[in-house]
Amino acid sequence: MEHKLDVSGLEPPEPMERILQAIETLNAGDYLYVTHRREPRMIYPMLENMGIAWITRTGGPEGYEIFLWHKGDDIASSEIPA
Amino acid sequence: MTVSRSGLSLEQAPPISVPFRFFLTAPIFGLLAALLLLIYGPEALTNRWAPATLALTHLITLGFLGMIMCGAMMQMLPVLAGSPVPKVKPVATAVHILLTIGILALASGFLSGTTGLFHLALTALGLGFLIFIIAISIALMRIRTPNDTIHGMRLAITSLATTVILGLTIGAGFSGMTSLSQLIPLTDIHLGWGILGWIGLLVIGVAYQVVPMFQLTPEYPKKLTTPLSWAIFATLIIWAPLYLAWGNGHLPKLVPDIWILLPTAGYILFAGTTLRLQQKRRRRVSDITLLFWRTGMIFIAACLLLWLISFIPATKSQPAFSLLLGIWLLFGIAASVVNGMLYKIIPFLAWFHLQNRQVALMSMGKVKVPNMKELMPDKLAKRQLYAHLATLLLLTLALIWPNPLAYVAGLSLGISCTLLLLNILQATRRFQQVNQELSDFEASR
Repeated sequence: MEHKLDVSGLEPPEPMERILQAIETLNAGDYLYVTHRREPRMIYPMLENMGIAWITRTGGPEGYEIFLWHKGDDIASSEIPA
Repeated sequence: MTVSRSGLSLEQAPPISVPFRFFLTAPIFGLLAALLLLIYGPEALTNRWAPATLALTHLITLGFLGMIMCGAMMQMLPVLAGSPVPKVKPVATAVHILLTIGILALASGFLSGTTGLFHLALTALGLGFLIFIIAISIALMRIRTPNDTIHGMRLAITSLATTVILGLTIGAGFSGMTSLSQLIPLTDIHLGWGILGWIGLLVIGVAYQVVPMFQLTPEYPKKLTTPLSWAIFATLIIWAPLYLAWGNGHLPKLVPDIWILLPTAGYILFAGTTLRLQQKRRRRVSDITLLFWRTGMIFIAACLLLWLISFIPATKSQPAFSLLLGIWLLFGIAASVVNGMLYKIIPFLAWFHLQNRQVALMSMGKVKVPNMKELMPDKLAKRQLYAHLATLLLLTLALIWPNPLAYVAGLSLGISCTLLLLNILQATRRFQQVNQELSDFEASR
């Protein structure tokens, strides 16, 4: 299931805070779809530590789209739009 | 298009003590400048060559602005560009100690005229800046795909090297180590490279990143960001020999004075663009950093206006003219922008370090990491902004009524720097408190 989160209108570090909070609500098979105006590079090491996989793409309504899911969750991973 | 699956490595970020020691030292030098103004009063604001004025200027440029800029650069290179400063801990320790000794010796040297103090100042400052410039240059050169911010930083650090070499040359002449025939043109070129090169180019480069990021504005237009820093740097390179040619009697002063309008026009373009972008910001809430930056941008225009007025005959020969220009450049533009940035950098760094540690310990829900506003409350920052604006106004008015306003301006500067110091200490204490809670959590597992 997709969980949507738009952090494009937030001042740093709120986008990171919101993403970290939203990750905690992800169940098996869920992924988080984040829209942002910048690439959130500073959160990547934290995601790595938390066992979260992610993929960042340019595009979407705000310029950047980030998909996040628990590492090893093949169902969530397979549901991410190509 | 997939852009990235990798980020910054945590090991790249220097310990928080690296930038914070510089940030905490800066307001102490500001306090020393205030103390000097309280002791010397009008004498510090009579003409730019008075010993008290020279000591005051260097306490602000090296002690206040320089400390913050050096600390911020060591932190920003890994964060913004993914390129850590080599051996950052010993480099930061050596640079911080050497600059502190050098600034204290220089200010005391100006006030007492003691040659030994000048020698100590030149050695410590020369060595401190040499280490800083080499370490930063290595980090900057390692970046394989530099953006406009990195280009700006490279030009800024080159300008710093030029400013320091000129400063050491003038210092050696001033203390009688060498003979110096062109004191006035060399001092003005030293000033030009320091303010329009080092401070200005670093502010521009950093603004490209932090203004859109923190103030939620659109990005700076690419057609401006790519050529601007280069254009300013190139015009400064040509300005220096023109100014020396005036010093040698080969050119009328009007030529370098008109030429300097070119880099100034670059800064006007930057200020206008920044104000326009700030008008278009997405979140229209009051923001202390934004107000500090707006003050700085408005004073860029004010300084240009002042420079244009100086073309009216007999204006520039007034000692108050160069003092007013100095006050507006240093306090109106540079101190406003740099001080304002601290209110983003400090809480952001504190939050980032704590959040990283919380994630690494998986202590979410056990230890609460404070947000930016809790680490640096707006109310405290706003109080200091008012004190800073009052200082700016009082310093300006002190040129008209030196007695007693020079003393009042000193008091106001002292209040502003005390509030800034207390605000940084407050954020530091809050950081240490939560960091301790995280350590306790780690020990209890």
